[in-house]
Amino acid sequence: MKRTDILARVFMVLVFVVLYLPTIFLIALSFNTSAKITFPIQGFTLDWYAGPLKPYEMNPSYIPIIHDWQFWNAVMISLRVSGITAVLTCGLVTLTALSLRYRLVGRDILFYIFLLGFVTPGVLVGLGNLLLFRILDITITEWNMIALDTIYASSFGFILMMSRFDPDLMLYEYTAAALRVGPLRVFRHITLPLIKWEVLSAGILGFLLSWGELIRSLWVVRGTGTVSIFLFVNLGVYPLTTKWFAAGTLLAVVSIAGLMVMATILSRGAK
Amino acid sequence: MVKHARYLLLLPGLITFIFFLVAPLLIIVMMSLYTPVWPGYTTDLTLQNYIRYITARQFPTLLSNTFFTSLLASAICLMIGFPFAYCYSFKIKSEKARNYITMFLLAPFLIDWTIRSVAWISILGDQGFMNSILLSMGVIGEPIKVLFTPTALFIIWVQTNLLFMIFPMNLALGRMNPEVIDAAKVLKAPPYRVFYEIIFKLALPGIICGFIFVFVGTISDYITPSLWAGGMQTIGLSVSTYATQFLWPQASAGGIILLIVSMAVLYILLKVVDIKKLVYE
Repeated sequence: MKRTDILARVFMVLVFVVLYLPTIFLIALSFNTSAKITFPIQGFTLDWYAGPLKPYEMNPSYIPIIHDWQFWNAVMISLRVSGITAVLTCGLVTLTALSLRYRLVGRDILFYIFLLGFVTPGVLVGLGNLLLFRILDITITEWNMIALDTIYASSFGFILMMSRFDPDLMLYEYTAAALRVGPLRVFRHITLPLIKWEVLSAGILGFLLSWGELIRSLWVVRGTGTVSIFLFVNLGVYPLTTKWFAAGTLLAVVSIAGLMVMATILSRGAK
Repeated sequence: MVKHARYLLLLPGLITFIFFLVAPLLIIVMMSLYTPVWPGYTTDLTLQNYIRYITARQFPTLLSNTFFTSLLASAICLMIGFPFAYCYSFKIKSEKARNYITMFLLAPFLIDWTIRSVAWISILGDQGFMNSILLSMGVIGEPIKVLFTPTALFIIWVQTNLLFMIFPMNLALGRMNPEVIDAAKVLKAPPYRVFYEIIFKLALPGIICGFIFVFVGTISDYITPSLWAGGMQTIGLSVSTYATQFLWPQASAGGIILLIVSMAVLYILLKVVDIKKLVYE
């Protein structure tokens, strides 16, 4: 192996260390017996995860994560919001990207409209939607969060999907059409198999961006909200204790495991 | 018939974007021109909201906190992200390894933002890992203050936004034909010229795209600066503060000023390179 290759790998590992450093400490400290987030670690315990529920304990910062039903409620809402966002992002991005491959009238204007979802500051999107629903007197529900997340994720997914299309895709489609194959059959047997990984990637992106979304969602939240909103609000009111690190560890472990499964699936499907 | 179908495919996306993005933006523009009258507003049009906002004593501070911190964070992400994207595209040959690297880049995103940010307390806090080690070694006499300073803000922003810088650059570099580089080497072009004339110039759409993503992501983030940079005031925070007091015209004017600032930067960046080249040309 060349020296430059070794240096390149060392650099990449260093970037990953910086990215994962907080996660490593998050996991290590979540087993600390002390409620305070300080070093050195006092001792090992699983009580922050599944300890007994102390009677009359009202402060969420001290309730073990297994007994914190509000946290699990937020997780369920997050899964629902992010799951629906992922499906909607897949659909919108695929239809839009397939259409904008052609030299349509006003393509550039349409392109900038779709780009607007990403380049508009989130605070504006949130405020604008809040005002729109107030003016239209529409009750804000989970669907408002889903809509905002979908707009945000679709813009990003659209750029990624279009730039990854197989350059010969249109040629295959034209050939099939010249052979008088119907558009639906062309889509099913040619287009979809060639873009399925891009579609899946758009879905993953939709899920990820929605899962971590806070700036936009805060404007249209009602009730417990997603995990992001729940944790943001709780940590603004209650003290930071090891319990919150245990919550973060749970989310981290599940996410990393899920992504590993996804990487394995994508590796099998890699062209 | 087929031509019309192409336009029909656009409809779901277009309707969604017009209803949830374009219409709200137009409402903000209108609202910013309304006259505030406590406890609401009248529909008499005025520019007073903008004039008051811009002539306020704290406006230069708000503008510089919003604009320069985002610009610096984007530059730092570029300095780390470009070498990473280069290594990813040219040094990692296995498709499997690339998929795993991509997934490991995505994973920190699934850990909640709040938790991801507060986890830095355990490293950078007064009683965190870094200060504990340095104090026990006798390198420092008292804890170094990193949390609640601009340094903490940049650390958190870089960690959060690096992915947005790396992804578009990966796309641009991935589209590059390696034979072009080989041809330049055969023609005995010095390495710095190969890098600048070929790699950098062909990667420019990805670099600009990544820069835009990070810049927009950070300029609209008012929560991280206010929490982790010792209550740093930004335009986004002022918009949020006005909105919580139901001062909609003032909040809208602040929002439009923020939009103008970010669009001005985007305009300059898009003049340098046509982002459409990365997408459909």
